[in-house]
Amino acid sequence: MRKFRHIITTLSIAAIAVVTSSASASEKMVKLKDGRVIIKTHVLPFKKKNIDGSAPYKRHGEYVGPYRINPQAEKVAKKLPYGQKATKEEIKAWDIDVRPDGLGLPVGKGTVDEGEALYEKKCQMCHGDFGTGGKGFPPLAGGDHDSLKNQLLDPNAGDEPPVRTIGTYWPYASTIFWYVKSGMPFPHPMTLTDDETYALTAYLLNVNDITFKNGDDIEYLDNKNFLNVVMPNHDGFYPDVDGPHAKQNIKNLLAHPEKYGDVTYRCMKNCIKGKVPVVHITNELKGFNPPMSTKRDWGGMNWILPNAGHKESFEEKVYNKVCSACHSNKAIGAPMIGDKEAWAKVLKKGIDKVYENAIKGVGAMPPKGGTNLSDEDFKKVVDYIISKSK
Amino acid sequence: MAKKLSRRSFLKKTMAYSATAVAAATALVPEKAAAKEDPILKKQPWEVNAGDPVDIHPYGFPSPYEHNVVRRTHELLSSGDKRASVAMCPIHELDGIITPNGLFFTRTHGGIAQIDPNEHRLMIHGLVEKPLVFTVEDLKKMPSESRIHFIECPANSSTAWRGPQFNSLQFIKGMMSCAEWTGVPVRYLLEMAGVKPEAKWVLAEGGDSSHMARTLPIEKMLDDAMVVYAQNGEALRPEQGYPLRLLVPGWEGNLNVKWLRRLKLGDKPWHAKEETSKYTMLTPGGKAIQYFWPMEVNSVITNPCPEKPWTHLKKGDIVEIEGLAWSGQGTIKGVDISFDGGKNWVPAKLKGLVLPKAWTRFSYIYKWEGKPLLLCSRAYDETGTVQPTVGQEIAKMGVEAIYHRNAIITWEVKANGEVNHVEIRKPLVDIAKEAGWRK
Ligand code: HEC
Ligand code: HEC
Repeated sequence: MRKFRHIITTLSIAAIAVVTSSASASEKMVKLKDGRVIIKTHVLPFKKKNIDGSAPYKRHGEYVGPYRINPQAEKVAKKLPYGQKATKEEIKAWDIDVRPDGLGLPVGKGTVDEGEALYEKKCQMCHGDFGTGGKGFPPLAGGDHDSLKNQLLDPNAGDEPPVRTIGTYWPYASTIFWYVKSGMPFPHPMTLTDDETYALTAYLLNVNDITFKNGDDIEYLDNKNFLNVVMPNHDGFYPDVDGPHAKQNIKNLLAHPEKYGDVTYRCMKNCIKGKVPVVHITNELKGFNPPMSTKRDWGGMNWILPNAGHKESFEEKVYNKVCSACHSNKAIGAPMIGDKEAWAKVLKKGIDKVYENAIKGVGAMPPKGGTNLSDEDFKKVVDYIISKSK
Repeated sequence: MAKKLSRRSFLKKTMAYSATAVAAATALVPEKAAAKEDPILKKQPWEVNAGDPVDIHPYGFPSPYEHNVVRRTHELLSSGDKRASVAMCPIHELDGIITPNGLFFTRTHGGIAQIDPNEHRLMIHGLVEKPLVFTVEDLKKMPSESRIHFIECPANSSTAWRGPQFNSLQFIKGMMSCAEWTGVPVRYLLEMAGVKPEAKWVLAEGGDSSHMARTLPIEKMLDDAMVVYAQNGEALRPEQGYPLRLLVPGWEGNLNVKWLRRLKLGDKPWHAKEETSKYTMLTPGGKAIQYFWPMEVNSVITNPCPEKPWTHLKKGDIVEIEGLAWSGQGTIKGVDISFDGGKNWVPAKLKGLVLPKAWTRFSYIYKWEGKPLLLCSRAYDETGTVQPTVGQEIAKMGVEAIYHRNAIITWEVKANGEVNHVEIRKPLVDIAKEAGWRK
């Protein structure tokens, strides 16, 4: 924090007017020894702040802050006749979260080997070999835990950026299980079984060189041995939000803005000594989509109704919803829709073989693209892609 | 040919022909030629021809002349897929403090879900006396509240930590927008379910394919958090979580869980992917800050800006400098502006509604002298917190935090009125050395 010991003059309110006439009367300008003229703000005392360092709403009468409220509403809130009791089955169906203490881990088991096979089939096309990324999708492995200390200040001096992956950064293995189960594979989440999720978690830990606490290699994971995994960066975060003092710890940070770089004074004069150091853009990022323009020219009606009069066919709908995740994304390595050469090559083996491949799955292409369409319907979608790629 | 085509007949054609024909016809509009004639002296097609019937669009659209006022994307701001990506709000084109729904910035982690509201449910369970399920209609029948709040992604201007990269206000600060939200206080719902005394934390989870979930403290849920179904008077847009989203005023955009389907009360935090792998701030020394919820005091000048330069001004012209200020920790108290890169500052005026955790407009009337400026703004809020300089923020946070960058933004206004994004700071290494974390 700044030291205000050096304050030498406290200007009178009249003197403030010389610098600014609109500072409120209670704001005092002070001149520091180094020549800066500052105004200290009225800092809301720590005690009065909310847990997030915010100012509580002023409540008086029917006001909460600037808003009027109906106090009758508050009184009846508890008694409102809406909402049904959630059944046990309903809760079970949605209760998918998993906590670091193991709460929510389902019964199940999966091996690293099973995980590897699954990964190659369902994940590799986006996350790269062994989770190394490289296709614009997040890498899932690699890097050094020590790299978290890196700050890329000067690439010319050999500075490197920190590498944040499961192995270097994630504090808990439970997060992997929960996220893979509820969010991956990206085009079709919630399609992995619990056993498969254990297998994939075991595999992801394995490619990150993570072992059990006692140093034993992870060969399989289940709901019993899961908590024996301790992640390299498990103590890499603050404030401590898990212990009994979680809320105090959080407020101790959030209600002290100087701890995260904010200040509590306004420098008004002579704030920078000497020449003002200006940093310009060196490598400008362009390539906005759509391109930048502030023109008020006639945009036509099609900017509003790009598909006016156009009804999505069944094939198109399936394509847009499912297949496009891969067949419209260069990074995946699937033949791109509209790429005549690529499809001509695919079709060389004969349409029947192509159907068969796509129905059974081939390489990173999941069986039927991950849909449960009938063969007939699925073929229509294949035909659609081919028709768009001639 | 183009000249003979009246706008009226042009419009008619537009209606009748396919999209491709429209695109071709668009090229014919003699925009430049028309501008040269005095628009008062000539009879305009729209004054000598009746306009469109009132039922032309049962749901209205902006003028086709506003077609450049749109959200924009950039490849670098996505995680490899346009469904795990962000579309930036054109804040350089906005007036006042309300963002139209079609321009509200959009960040998704699993694409924009199109949810059938009849099939959507909100479940409240965990450490409650009576687990409950609400339909969307249930919530709409309850007493409602409306509040104006901004939502900002904490990654807003994250591309600038190591130095300026975008020369565009939309891409520097467009991961935020501000709207009037209507819904039910979460407090009501929790009271109906009966909170058990051990309940300290609430997990909020979406029903979209990302099933995105975050841990929130019960304190916020009992204070100003809401389950909202409306935005600027109409149903939430799918991009904003239709039919239900959590609104936690002033807090990280990511915590305002869209497509909200579940609130689970617990005694410990969950450590979801978006509060470990992401939305944590790595600091010098290698430790990261977690569970940093509020968006700190912030501001930016919107006029001028790189997209809206002062190239049209002549020496001696009077112009309004305008901008946006906001704080997730309370109400904006004031904004100072500087013309010399932050050496000297003067107070600007706030104008319009000044509301807690909402965009606030500031204004300064200025006489342009055609001399180069380094123009910047600095806001402070009712907690007494002041927006830091770039150097002050980096000294504490380093340059690898990704999130929660609220340092002062500076525009270099050139003598010809052009505006460029610059940063006022010493070399990063010098800042780090002075701060003591780089030898
Ligand atoms: C179609 C491409 C795709 C496929 C296939 C895919 N993912 Fe992902 N994955 C993504 C995207 C995109 C993200 C980032 C999501 C976001 O931004 O929230 C991601 C994120 C992740 C993350 C979090 C990374 C981090 O550091 O935050 C993990 C773990 C993960 N995926 C695991 C898997 C696993 C396991 C599979 C296979 C079962 C899989 N993914 C299949 C695209 C894919
Ligand atoms: C998860 C990504 C993914 C999805 C989703 C996906 N594909 Fe594919 N697809 C691929 C990849 C990768 C290949 C190339 C496989 C190879 O040759 O190794 C492929 C190949 C194909 C082929 C050519 C097969 C051959 O014989 O070479 C067809 C046809 C096809 N896909 C159809 C579809 C259809 C139809 C859908 C949607 C219902 C779909 N795909 C969804 C990734 C995907």
